[in-house]
Amino acid sequence: MIGQATYTLAFYFLAAASVLLALAVVNERKLLRAAVALMGVLTVSAGLYAMLGAEFLAGVQVLVYVGGIVVLIVFAIMLTRSAELLEDRPDKLRSALGAVLSIGFLGSVVWVLKSSTFALPAAAPLAPHDDAREIGVLLLNYTSTGYVLPFEIISLLLLAAVIGGIVVARKTAPAEQPFTSGGDLAGEADFEVPRTQHDEAETGVRQ
Amino acid sequence: MNALTQALANQTPGLNHWLVLSTVLFSIGLYGLLTRRNAVGILMAVEVMLNSAALNFVVFNYFVTPGAFDGQIMAIFVIAVAAAEVVVGMAIFVAMFRLRHSVDVNRIDTLKH
Repeated sequence: MIGQATYTLAFYFLAAASVLLALAVVNERKLLRAAVALMGVLTVSAGLYAMLGAEFLAGVQVLVYVGGIVVLIVFAIMLTRSAELLEDRPDKLRSALGAVLSIGFLGSVVWVLKSSTFALPAAAPLAPHDDAREIGVLLLNYTSTGYVLPFEIISLLLLAAVIGGIVVARKTAPAEQPFTSGGDLAGEADFEVPRTQHDEAETGVRQ
Repeated sequence: MNALTQALANQTPGLNHWLVLSTVLFSIGLYGLLTRRNAVGILMAVEVMLNSAALNFVVFNYFVTPGAFDGQIMAIFVIAVAAAEVVVGMAIFVAMFRLRHSVDVNRIDTLKH
């Protein structure tokens, strides 16, 4: 009984924390603070996953989301100099429209939830155990119930995202390069990217 | 005290509590998506929304198919896709900032002119 009471308390505590932190993410005018609040939302979500018996997923959440994605977002804030600026408050029309749309969405979904019943199994949900092993087996299972194909496709997606990220964020856009391989294909060093006029002008502005 | 513990133990959150929580988080993310002007802020709001969707998968996994792991695997895929999205988003913002010296989405309107 004590365990169940603690579970209830933990749920409401984590739920309140994640909602408040999410509000900070969308309302905070300093973006770095919003990023810290986002880190809090994701950490609290890891706690919620652990409450749902998904310990492995909670670990993945902390490692990938909190450790990787939030750091990338902080890099994005720094590189675009958003940390120095206070973001403008959204004007009245914009925030009213956003509030109406999101509260309307919330209301309609809650209404649908109230009027629907889910086919829950009769027994109380039993906590799954040994989930890291089970998930690993499922991810590499190549029968019709396994997920090996999405697993491989997601690795291709990540590779494409990494290459795309490098190409897009490169110092010179590909269109500005002379119409050659740009040294990428030949063995020549491609660290010496030819500096174009645009490049010069831009560094002048930046400094 | 004992009565309070009993009352709390009888109020264990059910499926609908969890679903309402993730809907609230999703709505907050939607609000941020619609009102933020900085592109990185929009990206953070999208992260909140993706996170609430992943939470939904895990909740249904726990309540509807206890003992199975498909919902958790979907959540892992959501996390992987979010990572890819953030990498590309960051690259685009850096390129945009280099070109326009701003990531204010109200000023990125080249396609309109």
